[in-house]
Amino acid sequence: MMVSVLDFILAVLTGLAILGFIAGSAMFLIWWERKVSAHIQSRLGPMRVGWHGVLQSVADTIKLLLKENIVPAGVDKLVWWLAPFFVVVPCVMVFVAIPFGKNLIVKDLNVGILYILAVSSVGVLGIFMAGWGSNNKYSLLGGMRSAAQIISYELPLILSVIVVAMNAGSLSMQKIVAAQSGYWYVLHPNMLLAFVIYMISATAEVNRVPFDIPEAESELVAGFHTEYSGMKFAMFFIGEYTNVFVVSAIATTLFLGGWHGPILPPAVWFLIKTYGIITVLMWVRWTFPRLRVDQLMGFAWKVLTPVSLLNLAVTGWLLLR
Amino acid sequence: MAVTKMIKRVKNFAVGAWSLVKGLSVTLKYCFKPAVTVQYPTQKLPMAERFRGLVGLRPEKCIMCYQCVKICPTGCLAITHKVQEDKKKTLETFRYNMELCCFCGLCAQVCPTSAIIMTDIYEITVYDRAKLNIDLLDAKKYDEWTGATIK
Repeated sequence: MMVSVLDFILAVLTGLAILGFIAGSAMFLIWWERKVSAHIQSRLGPMRVGWHGVLQSVADTIKLLLKENIVPAGVDKLVWWLAPFFVVVPCVMVFVAIPFGKNLIVKDLNVGILYILAVSSVGVLGIFMAGWGSNNKYSLLGGMRSAAQIISYELPLILSVIVVAMNAGSLSMQKIVAAQSGYWYVLHPNMLLAFVIYMISATAEVNRVPFDIPEAESELVAGFHTEYSGMKFAMFFIGEYTNVFVVSAIATTLFLGGWHGPILPPAVWFLIKTYGIITVLMWVRWTFPRLRVDQLMGFAWKVLTPVSLLNLAVTGWLLLR
Repeated sequence: MAVTKMIKRVKNFAVGAWSLVKGLSVTLKYCFKPAVTVQYPTQKLPMAERFRGLVGLRPEKCIMCYQCVKICPTGCLAITHKVQEDKKKTLETFRYNMELCCFCGLCAQVCPTSAIIMTDIYEITVYDRAKLNIDLLDAKKYDEWTGATIK
């Protein structure tokens, strides 16, 4: 009895720690994105709240929390209310299997990477629910595009992940990291290709520029979250930035050696690598223009999928040779 | 035929990929250039030499010719003077109603002694309309006005 109570308390504390990390990380990333974009455009970005505006996101969050909860008249209430949760909850669940350090992982599942990919795919449901429930043509188009895009890019993403799983001989995140103790997987030529495919598909998965057609401002206002405001909008925002963190964390774990690194503690190495990848994603976002819908689908099905299938076959041949 | 098409495709792909790298290098270069932003209330841009801000007066130069009053298209200036025993004129009041002023600069242009000048003061908002109508001879009030938003 005693043990189960302790377990329960531990589980609650772990959950709180993850939620705290997610909130802090999302707020930091929003500030960092604003800073990166500003400097790329020869601006300064937020400068007033705190040192170089670090507390700007905190102020924005407080503002969003205090906003009135507006429910548009025509929405499908249940679907509309549930959508933000369907976006955020999978993001939180994914953190169970992300290895921050040698023992710094909530649960080292033996199907870790499979679990992460399966759970994070639920997020698209939330986006589609938001688009459907809003009763707004822009939202609906945004949701439709998002569903089409995420399902298309899931394929090359998973095919490139399988390459890593084949080399490591395991789906467990910790075992994949342990297999990279000598050298990073990205140094393999076929794994480098898998890494490039993974990064392109991951950018499309998290709806970031140049693959941000579900929320293309010039075409769809704000896409699926047009009708949302206040805390519900904030949840979409947090979900989006948490997804960015998650895909970068997976890239770090699968290709960049995870938490391995000299001198500094493992968790610090993990965060340095992850935030480095996120910064590259931001750099890409503020450089490239948006793709057209037909170009996007064509790129996923005609280029990325065949190339990653070929990569998979070559990797299999190399392993069995 | 198919081979040339293939070569063209590969070439297009290479050019496209190279253009992506080029674009990234441009944004990276800009990322480390100094920002052009001026942090406005704490930092300010210098105004151009011929900028027409608030009207300013150098009372010692004024010869009371009333030309500024005559030329003012909105009639925002009003002067009174008195003549002393030795027939020297002194300014009594020099009303300037900023509510009406259109900052055309004609008063400064027409002034034979350059007693009226267009200053570079542009932070001239007040909370009370009455404060816009002041006597330019009242230096203290003028400073209060122009200094109000700078601080």
